[in-house]
Amino acid sequence: MFLEDFGASIQIAFTYFTIIYITGLGGLFSERSGIVNIGLEGMMIIGTVTGSYGTFYFSTELDMGVPLGPILGLLFGLLCGALFALIHAVATITFRVDHIVSGVVINLVAIGLARFLSAVFFGQATQSPPGQPKLSPIDIPLLSDLPWGLGRAFQQLSPMVIVAILLLIPVWYSLNRTRWGLRLRSCGENPEATRSLGVSVPLYRYQGVLLSGALAGLAGAFLAIEESQFWREGQTQGLGFIALAALILSNWNPIRLLWAAFLFGFAQAIPLRLDDFFLFAWLPPQFIRMIPYVVTIVAIAGFVGKVRPPAAAGRAYEGGGAL
Amino acid sequence: MAASPATVPAAAIRERPSWLEPLLVQVAALLLALLISLAIGAVIIILYGENPIDVYSAILEFAFRDATSFGTVLSIATPLIFSALAVAVCFKAGLFNIGVEGQFLVGMVTATWAALHLGFLPGALLAVGVLVFAMLGGMAFAAIPAVLKVKTGAHEVVTTIMLNGIAVSFLAWALNGPLKFTATEGAFNVDLRSDKFSTDALMPNIGEAFGMKPSADFSLLFPLALVAAALVWFLFKRMRLGYEARAVGSSPGSAQAGGISIGAVQIKVFLISGALAGLIGMQQLLVDKGALVQNYEAQLGFVGIGVAFLGQNNPIGIVFAAIFWSVLSRGESALQINTEVPREFVIILQGIFIMTVVIVYQVARRWAARRQLAREGAIDNMEDSSATDDIEGLAREDA
Amino acid sequence: MTDHGEAGRSGAPPLVVMEHVTKKFPGVVANDDVSIDLRPGEVHALIGENGAGKSTLMRVLYGMYPADGGRIVIRGEERKIASPRDAIANGIGMVHQHFVLVDPFTVTQNIVLGDEGGPLVHLSDAEQRVKVLADSYGFQIDPGAVVEDLSVGEEQRVEILKALYRGVDILILDEPTAVLTPAETQELFANLRFLREDGKSIVFISHKLDEVLQIADRITVLRRGSVVGQTTPDETDKAKLAEMMVGRPVLFRLEKPTVEIGDPVLELRDLRGGRLRGLSLEVRAGEILGVAGVEGNGQRELADAIMGLRALDGGTISLHDRDLAGLSTEAIRNAGIAFIPEDRHEQGLVLDMTLWENTVLGRHDDADFSGRGGVLFLKKIKELATRLVQLFDVRARSIEVNASTLSGGNQQKLILARELETDPKLLLAAQPTRGLDVGAIEFVWSQILLQKAAGRAVLLISAELDEIYALSDRIVTLYEGRITGEYAPDTPADELGRGMLGGELAGEPG
Repeated sequence: MFLEDFGASIQIAFTYFTIIYITGLGGLFSERSGIVNIGLEGMMIIGTVTGSYGTFYFSTELDMGVPLGPILGLLFGLLCGALFALIHAVATITFRVDHIVSGVVINLVAIGLARFLSAVFFGQATQSPPGQPKLSPIDIPLLSDLPWGLGRAFQQLSPMVIVAILLLIPVWYSLNRTRWGLRLRSCGENPEATRSLGVSVPLYRYQGVLLSGALAGLAGAFLAIEESQFWREGQTQGLGFIALAALILSNWNPIRLLWAAFLFGFAQAIPLRLDDFFLFAWLPPQFIRMIPYVVTIVAIAGFVGKVRPPAAAGRAYEGGGAL
Repeated sequence: MAASPATVPAAAIRERPSWLEPLLVQVAALLLALLISLAIGAVIIILYGENPIDVYSAILEFAFRDATSFGTVLSIATPLIFSALAVAVCFKAGLFNIGVEGQFLVGMVTATWAALHLGFLPGALLAVGVLVFAMLGGMAFAAIPAVLKVKTGAHEVVTTIMLNGIAVSFLAWALNGPLKFTATEGAFNVDLRSDKFSTDALMPNIGEAFGMKPSADFSLLFPLALVAAALVWFLFKRMRLGYEARAVGSSPGSAQAGGISIGAVQIKVFLISGALAGLIGMQQLLVDKGALVQNYEAQLGFVGIGVAFLGQNNPIGIVFAAIFWSVLSRGESALQINTEVPREFVIILQGIFIMTVVIVYQVARRWAARRQLAREGAIDNMEDSSATDDIEGLAREDA
Repeated sequence: MTDHGEAGRSGAPPLVVMEHVTKKFPGVVANDDVSIDLRPGEVHALIGENGAGKSTLMRVLYGMYPADGGRIVIRGEERKIASPRDAIANGIGMVHQHFVLVDPFTVTQNIVLGDEGGPLVHLSDAEQRVKVLADSYGFQIDPGAVVEDLSVGEEQRVEILKALYRGVDILILDEPTAVLTPAETQELFANLRFLREDGKSIVFISHKLDEVLQIADRITVLRRGSVVGQTTPDETDKAKLAEMMVGRPVLFRLEKPTVEIGDPVLELRDLRGGRLRGLSLEVRAGEILGVAGVEGNGQRELADAIMGLRALDGGTISLHDRDLAGLSTEAIRNAGIAFIPEDRHEQGLVLDMTLWENTVLGRHDDADFSGRGGVLFLKKIKELATRLVQLFDVRARSIEVNASTLSGGNQQKLILARELETDPKLLLAAQPTRGLDVGAIEFVWSQILLQKAAGRAVLLISAELDEIYALSDRIVTLYEGRITGEYAPDTPADELGRGMLGGELAGEPG
């Protein structure tokens, strides 16, 4: 009985892992380029509402059905996330607003903007019609046949989970083996050095922030389309910040982020599937819901001294303003 | 005509009080941001086929229509003032208290407990006791990220946001458990809530003295908020802790070398912030509803962050920013009744306004700093040419 | 045999000519109608005080600033240099005073950044190319080493290689020896001579007159933005150069007052922690102890440890036999130690606060200036500020202006005023004249000597040997977190230099 629940919770963990990992990768690009981005939550929110609408529009209005509808919906969420991130980019890079202030404002604006867009898209401010189409879930071959209920963990997963895991390869490669990645990273470590060699710091930082918006938007769209199949205000439940915590925990490394994201993803699953597990069953249900947040705090508090952020992240770069 | 005035010496004309220029720059920046935001908003309004002047005046008119309406505006502003003050107090010390939302929720829980269990306190003392417990709840909850930051270095942005989530669950638990309503008569409560508080615990409604109807919910809390703003102003202008907090927020290394204990200051500031945040929920708890309800009004902590930025973390600015914000919020209803523009437009406008203000202020601050440096630098250049090092630094931004 | 090449192979046409270049910043003219030329195969020194405009001029040449007037002619053709990329394309490279290296990257990654030669970066190929380049110029460097692990001298070589990798013919060095030991300086000079033989044109910006006289072929002197003279080492000497730089005769030594040296005031025993590896020293009343050493050997940690800003792993600090270990910075200050920090922006002033707010920093909780309820006595504080500003001649429009508007010299005076007002038993001065012009330097030095005259103890930490010599009664050298030697104030510089490299411990370096 427990193993069955355990398997189910892993399955859910995969879903949340996907959201956290993709968003975290987005944050990675932004922060490695030197722009602190705590507005990931806001960008994710934009992704949820636009992704949901996109799916609805392409699947239903344009009658493209599945899987094209959800795919276009995901892409639409990605695009809108990037556009929204442009605000953060302009504020922090061109106008040199404090990164955290801008991020906070982005999150505030996102909530309002999402309501507004929802009213425009769906006619109501706080949620969309339920039951929207999504991608056909898949079973992982071999693993989904594991006995004792463990196979449950690998059944009926969204294909995006695989995509998320595979994203590691292009991300790692681009950061470590390409000219673009070298320059991006140097913007985050020492923008003066970068500029002195004739490389445009704002250019790479814009790219970093836009990428973060795109990925956070994609993650949000995934949440709305694949996980919930509709849009609802507050859907993101702080996952954008959890992604940020995962990023810090992983020391801004895409490989370690994989593990951190899964850890936090699993923490999300606990209240949903393991609430009668003896470790947690004695807690009142509301306290079980606190577990993901507590896990994040403990992780952050416990490991902060041992991480090393990009040296110039958060510092306004005093040279070469706009593109 | 009277005799010609004595000629004023040239030097005196040029001498202006040093606080005047920064103030003028701030006001100018604010107006500029306002204009830009209204312009962007006007574009959206036009897309809806309405006249921006009509829409904006509908909003204004709705707020200022009569004393009751304006009283409502002030009541909406009251929790926002507490919230923004809480954020500003931390911000001055270089801390980002995004956890005002959570501290406000916990404050409501502790205040509710006090209202229900401190009934032995006579009359007005009960109300005071409730307020005290609200502040204590906020303080206790704010102590968590404060201590975590000082002891482990955990960044308060992440910890406070996680704590917000925890606070939501905490309130839900409290409402389902220890604070749950006790009445069991036939009347069926559709909404989950606590018992209603005795009138002694509530904040007196003072609106009548101003010609406002009771529905304005204008209570003693608004003057209390103004007092809080004044106290915060005094803290930062005249008190040692305020001075130390500003030093820590501006230049922690120099503060530390000067003997200031950064950790101690950060904790004290967080506690004050938490206390202010605890009062956010008192308007709805002690005036509007008289009980803790399941569908309480949330987001007030987050909105307070926006108001703090609008008011540039200055207590006086915050009061005006809160009132301005509330005028817009109140105007949402006007939009719905009178125009084609959806009420959500107001939220967009508010968001645009915050972003614009933040950007314009940043630009204005740098421009003013450059000017001041140039002016002082020019004087210095006669005596001491190392001014150029600093000017070069500032000028490097243009290159 | 003289050290100099054929004064720029006279007869060879100049590589670069800057004609009537003017550069203005808000409120100040940094370069005023400056003309200068650079010939191949020469080391051309550009000297002047802080703020004279030498760095600015070269930054204009390097494309970091647009000139407001004048033109730049390269190899006979007028060129517009709008960015460092343009400069590099024209064969001009610059090594800045504060290195611009990416610490976590390797030597090779730092060198190829911006000129990677393609969208993909093949690390081993690039490392090979860097090795070949370094060898061809006789530079010792490991292309795979991470910059964070390198010594300052090695970092500088990486910076120079960055320029050479891009095929520059003109190499600008901005205060290159400010961070080098005497031995490393000689190594650098050897490299520079090699480059000169190769036909490169080297601009050597410096305020260290001894070194300039040693390495330069020609010397151009700037003062307040204009050229006041050009000469060669044969035609001039240190005193004449200094006079040209400042416009009046310069005293290199101030009168040291004779004071009886008393009991030890500060005793440090075996300090360990961070870069400190068992540091011991003592300072006596009426004595100025100079701690000489190149930056990065524990100076900052030493100052921080004494002031209680950094925890120690071991060792004792005592002031008049009173143990200071574990005390808060506030307690240490109250015990009678005043602090002139090496970084006045990071550890000295709060730039966003006003002058008067800065003068009371550190004493703001004294009974004179704040009450028990926590209220500040603004009137008394402002009176203090007014008095100190006058006494120390801090130039500012009023005490209400922000500290950020003061010039470096005035900022330092403000800090001095604030700290010395407390009548300390010990003055801890770390790099007290960094970035200051001669007038301010003289003022700071005289204030320090006044402390000595008053019978107080002074611990002076400085990377400027001139300063150490001018002020110290006793000199010790700091190397890798330990005191490596004690010397009399008339010890010659090369012997001192050996101490700065480990001296008695390491044995004579090769």
